[in-house]
Amino acid sequence: MSVDMTVEQTGPRLATARDYVELLKPRIMMLVVFTALAGLVAAIGVTGQAMNPVLAGVAVLAVALGSGAAGAINMWYDADIDAIMTRTASRPIPSGAVPRDEALAMGLIMSAVSVLLMWIASNTLAAGLLAFSIVYYGWFYTIVLKRRTAQNIVIGGAAGAFPPVIGWAAVTGTTPLDAWILFAIIFVWTPPHFWALSLVAHNEYKKAGVPMLPVTNGAKETRLQILIYTIILAPVGMVPLMTGLGGWVYAVTAGLATIGFLHFAFRVFRSRAGDADAGDEERKLAMGMFAFSILYLFGLFAALIIERGFGLYLPLGGA
Amino acid sequence: MSEAVDSPQIDPDLIQKAQKRRNVWLAWALVAFVVIVGVSTALRIQQTDFSGGDRLYFSGYMDEAAKEKADREAMARAEALAAEQAAATEEQVSDE
Repeated sequence: MSVDMTVEQTGPRLATARDYVELLKPRIMMLVVFTALAGLVAAIGVTGQAMNPVLAGVAVLAVALGSGAAGAINMWYDADIDAIMTRTASRPIPSGAVPRDEALAMGLIMSAVSVLLMWIASNTLAAGLLAFSIVYYGWFYTIVLKRRTAQNIVIGGAAGAFPPVIGWAAVTGTTPLDAWILFAIIFVWTPPHFWALSLVAHNEYKKAGVPMLPVTNGAKETRLQILIYTIILAPVGMVPLMTGLGGWVYAVTAGLATIGFLHFAFRVFRSRAGDADAGDEERKLAMGMFAFSILYLFGLFAALIIERGFGLYLPLGGA
Repeated sequence: MSEAVDSPQIDPDLIQKAQKRRNVWLAWALVAFVVIVGVSTALRIQQTDFSGGDRLYFSGYMDEAAKEKADREAMARAEALAAEQAAATEEQVSDE
């Protein structure tokens, strides 16, 4: 697919601070920071290694900046399709608030600053992983995958799965199995999370020519894929219990969250969400699943923080 | 890329004011960056054991093997010193 790099911004307007914040995709940034913090806290709790709180704060700030940088690069490249889709037409670049070049410059400078800060605050491995995840999202997902394959979300999902690994590496300088388990949870969680949204927004993606699964394979196949990935996610979400990373708090939270997520996935699978004749009820159901998926991930990682950060870890097999 | 950055519809005074505001934000961001780098470096220097083979900014995964080797050597030196002291004490006792 060709990319229109000569896109005209609609009537320029003065940018506000809010436009620059929006350029960093703050909602994604919050989830990224939260999962990175969970990885960091879990690493301290599991290994017993200490990290200076100020340096830990700088490491988390570096992750936030890196996420924002990748978001800005994504908005720079996607400005042409953002202008076509109603959902994204009011973003800072298509709305004419921020010049496209400025967004790219901001993204690149922030990328360098974030990696440098991570290196100074922790170690080369964490900085390297942060750099890799920025390149993965900003270049591999945004430029290579997104407009080429319906599997863009599956493969590109790895970018969002790195933060807990980076958080873990920032503390220990290593990435053991537990860190990659957290990676796997986010990696498998991403497709059902995003496809639930795309069931609602598929006409927009079609208009912009982005090959999201509902556009290329239809709503029925997407609903099936959502169900399959949610079924895979159910045991993956429980793996921290097998390695001892999660205790009773995690077990109860993950158990309830998994039941809820599966319930939503089955309901969406049996519905006509995403179909041409789908009504408001189906739309609400898909958006409900999208919202619940965020709650699911938040719940799992919050349980880890509570257990490992607040000393409430109770091992399943007893002390 | 062809982007309309400027526009006759926007008051030039407003554009200049917005530019000034952005410059102030950039200046504060630079100050924050310098402070963060300074404080982080100071903390890293404080917690780094240079005598034990640690190196600032490279004390993580990349030189873990070198760190372990340095730790082993330091342990061996400490053990040798302890053995030497023990032998000296023993010698002193036998002399007496």
